[in-house]
Amino acid sequence: MQSGTFHTTYASDVSLRPYWPQRIRIVVVLVAALIFPWFADRYWLNLANTIAIAAIGAIGLNILVGYTGQISIGHGGFLAVGAYTAGLLAVHLGTPMWLTIPIASFFTAAVGAFFGLPSLRLKGLYLAIATLASQEIIIWLLTHGKLLGIGESLSLPRATNNLFGLPIEWLGNNDFAFYWICLVFLIFTVIFVSNLFRTRTGRAFVAIRDQDIAAQVIGVDLFRYKLLAFATSSFFAGLAGALTAHYRGVISWERFTIDTSILYLAMIIIGGLGSVSGSIYGAAFMVLLPAFLSNIARALSGIVPDINSYLPYLQQGAFGLAIILFLIFEPEGIVKMWRNVKDYFRLWPFSY
Amino acid sequence: MHRWKRTFGWWVVLALFATLLAACGGAGGGGGASSEPIKVGAIFDLTGATADVGTPYSRGQIAFIEWKNEQGGIKGRRLQLISEDYAYQVPRAEELYTKFVTQDKVLVFSGWGTGDTEALRPKITEDKIPFISASYSATLANPAETPYNFLVAPTYSDQLIIAMKWAIDDWKAKGNSGLPKFAYLINDSPFGRSPLADGTAFANSQGIATPLEVPSPRGATDLTPQLTQIRDYGANYIFLQNVSSPAALAIKNAKSLGYNVQFVCLNWCANEILIKQAGADAEGVVGVVPFNYEAEGAKVALEYARKKNIDYGGADSTFVQGWTAMSILIAGIEKVVNDGKELTGENIKNALETMGEIDTKGVTLPVKFSPTDHAGVKSTRMFRVENGKWVAITDFISAR
Repeated sequence: MQSGTFHTTYASDVSLRPYWPQRIRIVVVLVAALIFPWFADRYWLNLANTIAIAAIGAIGLNILVGYTGQISIGHGGFLAVGAYTAGLLAVHLGTPMWLTIPIASFFTAAVGAFFGLPSLRLKGLYLAIATLASQEIIIWLLTHGKLLGIGESLSLPRATNNLFGLPIEWLGNNDFAFYWICLVFLIFTVIFVSNLFRTRTGRAFVAIRDQDIAAQVIGVDLFRYKLLAFATSSFFAGLAGALTAHYRGVISWERFTIDTSILYLAMIIIGGLGSVSGSIYGAAFMVLLPAFLSNIARALSGIVPDINSYLPYLQQGAFGLAIILFLIFEPEGIVKMWRNVKDYFRLWPFSY
Repeated sequence: MHRWKRTFGWWVVLALFATLLAACGGAGGGGGASSEPIKVGAIFDLTGATADVGTPYSRGQIAFIEWKNEQGGIKGRRLQLISEDYAYQVPRAEELYTKFVTQDKVLVFSGWGTGDTEALRPKITEDKIPFISASYSATLANPAETPYNFLVAPTYSDQLIIAMKWAIDDWKAKGNSGLPKFAYLINDSPFGRSPLADGTAFANSQGIATPLEVPSPRGATDLTPQLTQIRDYGANYIFLQNVSSPAALAIKNAKSLGYNVQFVCLNWCANEILIKQAGADAEGVVGVVPFNYEAEGAKVALEYARKKNIDYGGADSTFVQGWTAMSILIAGIEKVVNDGKELTGENIKNALETMGEIDTKGVTLPVKFSPTDHAGVKSTRMFRVENGKWVAITDFISAR
């Protein structure tokens, strides 16, 4: 933290961003986010939307894993619940997205709380296996969709992509329109979750993570708060899933397998456990890494002729390598690296 | 260690800058003067769940573009294939598709899997990109819903019905009374399940009980439990809607289980890879091979591969399939160029719909699209593995 800052009121002491460089940075980021879509082509908009949706899901997972310390490898399943709830409502009832997205989020929160029930009895690896089971159960239900009257893949009618009766096409093409929708939901998520950890509930989550027995001793109701953590986390998974469904137009369960759950875990580990901005960095990193590799390969193909034939293997290796390098050199993730860079300049030239 | 930590941070920052630079470099392309190459986009599965057949298919597609360019391209204009591996992952397919279409401005697109082709459906229609996929899912054949998707082989549903027709005839020819029992052993994906509803409807209409549906898990190393389940059900015919490697595993497992059953492969396991992997156990397996690698039209492809030393793992029929699928897509472009029209997705689509029969010189029956039907081929022949080779055992059978 910066020195030379003295809080003279309680309000300034608890404010979220007390220092002016932080406030300027928020303005800069917001302005960049507002300008970006006017210059980006659809490829970059597509990547930005993918990152925004992944970031919402990753922040949700971070509430559970990073802040509350409950390991979950069932996040892909909860994304699927959100996507299919929104999809089924849109397909069968023609419900517009401004209704399906909140309904899907709350429904996923309920499903998440249900699958969080084992967390009362189980900890650590045992809980991980229980959440793995929830992932498999959800995917099994979807692949045997006939049993529930749902098809394997759903194709959402374009007409349901409207906000309060206004079709989103008036905003521009699909990628451009969804950029704004994803951005609004991402900002809502960031504000909500950043503030969550300044409340009684958020502090209870952190207490459970640090030492659950101690938390119980000081009066934290473990059952209630663990379920609440699962529900909140799943709420954002449902939000991300519902956005995916409406943005992509077609969803199938293949998108939400165990691989997805692991990808989301990798995002928050690389980005930084227990950090909202870290989740966004991690999501951006995991989405951009393959794009980055293929762009580099394209650029190098003039110099190294056969690089395209090695590219698939490079890509597979790069994911593994990225995770290992981060775990070795910066276990606290990208967010810590960013902090190091800031510290470097703040203390320069008299770093100690 | 501390030094390392700091330098690692700098490396990551550098790498991020490099991404931006590379990205900006990539974004500069586009345009379309008439001397520029005609761009064709493609995604292949070279490392994912279906890489065993994805690789020879991709070699066939790449080889066709090279061959066509050696022949002088299209009226002197070269073809340029922009392709990448997507590891059978839907999100990756979406990213690459968007990149090729919006940045590289490809005119037509060659896809691969059922899941990703379905997921791209709305985008394909919106972008007006004629799209030939290696997925022959029946849901892609109706131009009212998917106006830019074209199918160059009988749909999976048709293939399954044709295979069932053969099975019923075979059952009678062997002098059995009553009706056979069917089972499906399928890839656990939209690809695997694509034809089942239509197949079951056909089986029921013939009085056959609803076939048992057993998915084989991805990456399984032993299918004995699945086969035991099918044996307990008492199936006489197992229809395999899967790629070669898991299909070969099933055939070998059945043999060691002592379960004597007739396996019937649909398109993606009826190829040389299956024979190579299942060895002697593959003898007698029957398959739907929509692309005849012994036909006149296939010789050009196979000879070109021999001349250029292209390694496609001995999967002649899959190589020819990739070659042929690409040739049909290019035939549409050629027609538009020859008519002197502007090269747009819409014109290519109209050309494919109105150009009549496209002759593949015996590889398939002549491919014919119409504005109301994008399933280019309706009938195919059944083959059987005899002495390590696929041999045709029937004439062309139609599903209808």
